[in-house]
Amino acid sequence: MFGNPEGFVTKSMSDLDDFKATYFDECSELLLELEEQFAAIEEGERSSDRLNAVFRAIHSIKGGGGAFGFQGLVGFAHAYETLLDHVRDGRVELSEHVTALCIRANDIVADFVAAAREGRALAPGFGAEEKLQFDALTSNDPDAAGEPMDEFDIDFVPVMVTIAGAEDDAAAAEPLTFAGLDDSFEAPPLLADAGQWTIRFTPHSELYARANDPLLLLRELGTLGEIQVRAVLDEIPALADFEPFGVYCSWEITLSSATASEAAIAEVFEFVEGNCDLEISRGAAVAEEELDEAIEAMPSFAELLEAPVAVEAEVLSFTELAEAMKPALKAAPPLMPPPLLKQAAQVEEFEGDNDRRSGVEDRRNGVQSIRVDLDKIDRVVNMVGELVITQSMLTQQMDETLRARYQELVRGLEVLAQTTRGLQDSVMAIRAQPVKTVFSRMPRLVRELASKTGKKIRLETIGENTEIDKTIIEQLSDPLTHMIRNSADHGIETPERRAAAGKAEGGVIRLSAEQAGGNILIAVEDDGGGINRERVLQVARDRGVVGPEQMLSDEQIDQLIFAPGFSTASEVSDISGRGVGMDVVLSNIKKIGGSVHVKSWTGKGTRMTLRLPLTLAVLDVMLVKVAGSPYVIPLSSIVETIQCARANFSRMPTGGQVLQVRGEYVQVVDLASRFEMTTEVARDNRFVVLCEAEGGVKVALIVDDIIGQQQVVIKSLEENFQSIEGIAGGTILGDGNVALIVDVQGLKSANSPHKSAA
Amino acid sequence: MDSLAFKDDISGSVAAANSLQLIAFSIGEQTYGVEITTVREIRAWNGATPLPNTREFVRGVINLRGTIVPIFDLRARFGEGVTSPTKNHVVVVMSVGEKWVGILVDAVSDILTVAKDDIHNVPEGNSIDTELLNGIVTHENRMVGLIDLHAVVSGAKVDA
Repeated sequence: MFGNPEGFVTKSMSDLDDFKATYFDECSELLLELEEQFAAIEEGERSSDRLNAVFRAIHSIKGGGGAFGFQGLVGFAHAYETLLDHVRDGRVELSEHVTALCIRANDIVADFVAAAREGRALAPGFGAEEKLQFDALTSNDPDAAGEPMDEFDIDFVPVMVTIAGAEDDAAAAEPLTFAGLDDSFEAPPLLADAGQWTIRFTPHSELYARANDPLLLLRELGTLGEIQVRAVLDEIPALADFEPFGVYCSWEITLSSATASEAAIAEVFEFVEGNCDLEISRGAAVAEEELDEAIEAMPSFAELLEAPVAVEAEVLSFTELAEAMKPALKAAPPLMPPPLLKQAAQVEEFEGDNDRRSGVEDRRNGVQSIRVDLDKIDRVVNMVGELVITQSMLTQQMDETLRARYQELVRGLEVLAQTTRGLQDSVMAIRAQPVKTVFSRMPRLVRELASKTGKKIRLETIGENTEIDKTIIEQLSDPLTHMIRNSADHGIETPERRAAAGKAEGGVIRLSAEQAGGNILIAVEDDGGGINRERVLQVARDRGVVGPEQMLSDEQIDQLIFAPGFSTASEVSDISGRGVGMDVVLSNIKKIGGSVHVKSWTGKGTRMTLRLPLTLAVLDVMLVKVAGSPYVIPLSSIVETIQCARANFSRMPTGGQVLQVRGEYVQVVDLASRFEMTTEVARDNRFVVLCEAEGGVKVALIVDDIIGQQQVVIKSLEENFQSIEGIAGGTILGDGNVALIVDVQGLKSANSPHKSAA
Repeated sequence: MDSLAFKDDISGSVAAANSLQLIAFSIGEQTYGVEITTVREIRAWNGATPLPNTREFVRGVINLRGTIVPIFDLRARFGEGVTSPTKNHVVVVMSVGEKWVGILVDAVSDILTVAKDDIHNVPEGNSIDTELLNGIVTHENRMVGLIDLHAVVSGAKVDA
């Protein structure tokens, strides 16, 4: 618990695990990105941007997977990547079939990643079928079949290597790069001089500082044609002078390609422009021995720099440096005059281009983000919660006399209150995420549902950038899935029925999110037939959810779909109709302090709205007193409060009490007796708090006094103790005392008259 | 709850130093002790929010710098009736495994250093004593019962 000295040891040992954890975090993001991109591609947005994003995501997953030795994942991702590459340059058409295959492949990649994360093995043939399909699609290209995967044999011996990677086959087509696919750059056709290019690539330390990898660049260059790479190691100093972060290595590449242009080559290095010296010259490199001699004869780059730098000892800007270098460059032996001059020319270009470059820099800084452990954020959130409570406690302590006497203190407290609120908002914003992360999973669901049910369904999403607490987002996926399933299965009619009703054949499910005050509203709306109330009531009566004599309003009937075990589907379908679903929606949403409302128009459609709190950390509650102890009841479950003197109680034959409210009989729970405490408050001075539990079932709680509304931070009882029936947790009030949170659902189900129905 | 772990704990640290430091506290005339390393802090009694549906020895919960900590009435736990606490009563906050709990006692009396050889087994007989004590040690002619915290905090629910 306190400063464990072993902590350090375990940490350094688990470095690899840390990297793995980061890799898996990134994978989750990349998989999400895949979903998003394919959702858009399905919509018909087949821009090369999207394909590139998909390609990059798969490539990154594969790369990391290779580093950690996840063979299955790498093998599959490689085949998938090959297919994507073919799609990207148009050799394979992105037909519906291919799109579907890709979406399935995304799932398989996700499964591979999940398996790797959990360290379990998948069945040996997992993904093999899809892999075969990839191969079938790409096999009309002779290069692609059985292509070697030697990309991961990263060899650290700096010798001549030929980079023959997965992208080799791309060379046959037009020159492609990761970066500039959609730049629609057309290489001017080269005529007779089907070419040899010599590229001299000297990275600066900034290149490495920005996490670029020369290997990737060289590999990319390999896509342009046959390349021969020679590492120039002459700059490497004696070990004593060796700086660990010094840059001593440069490369000389000979590229043979009939189609490559200088611009295409330069484009490969686009991302590292300014962070390296690049010379591109036409013609074969000087024969090797000659080259060695020449390099020896040539003053080293460092030497070139030395003289002028020494003169102008102080800080030199890049342009000044370039200016200073010019004579030195010119004075250099004329080994390769054109490229050297060219470099000088490039330097001059930079001078004019300074503004643009700094713009690029700014943009890079703008998107900076850090990865923070959620636990750490939660700790801050908790502490800010405490701060809010302490602040409100201080404010409460200020009575009128104090206020009059210490005006400065009052002002200080007001500023404190403002700052605390600002701090709270900012901290919550850290946890907030756009609902897009859940919404993006839904298009695929709808497509699957449409194909299973034989209906035509279109999904519209609105407000997907609305932000909500991360924990809530995680809890949203299941309820939304159920709701959309329900809409697709029960809401939207078959095309024939729709046509008969004079509607368009294709149904629409609209998924929307918006912020309304301190809540987020998420609605699932369909333009189907609406809830069949007769049938719902019939089923409810059959199952005993509703008594035979009970008369229900339309609204109450609509709410019945949330009753446990309730389903109107006459046949249990593959999709919904197992009677689990809508009650799960309700309980999940209640768990995160939200509520569900359903509104239906016969023949026109149904709208289900989730009202969710912006954050889980703070709960809006009503503070009440029972037998002298403070309790809080979540505001989201309270329907109304009634004075006992005005309430209409009736006695049941069994001795229990019920409350009659607007024609409805509601179970009564006296919290004092339920909690085995005695109260001295006279019956008529007590209050009824009418609450709504799961499935729209109401329960009337009797409390001694209602103190007011406030926001509280939820604290766990289980952390140091254990769960207690009827209590959902605790919270700390402004005066520092602990109040218990009443678990309305728990109280109701403990002695529910409808227990058999559940 | 696994009370064995705690017993091992004691014997382990005893073996290391061959002696044991205890915080001793009193309930009426009786003195009890817990190993000093398990004690987190000692606070004056300042009320607790009662917990419904728990046994009478659970006095409720308090706010300990933002976390909710349950308070056990040791007198009631030994079946000697519920304590009527005053400001002079003391809550000893201890860690039991991962959890923090408070124990309501009449007063904290002393810090004792006892030799491990002086710890005796609890004689068979009174079931509450054998259940709640790890051992007995004699200090200056007083008998000090070593509290088994795991046993004290278990069985707090009414139905347990």
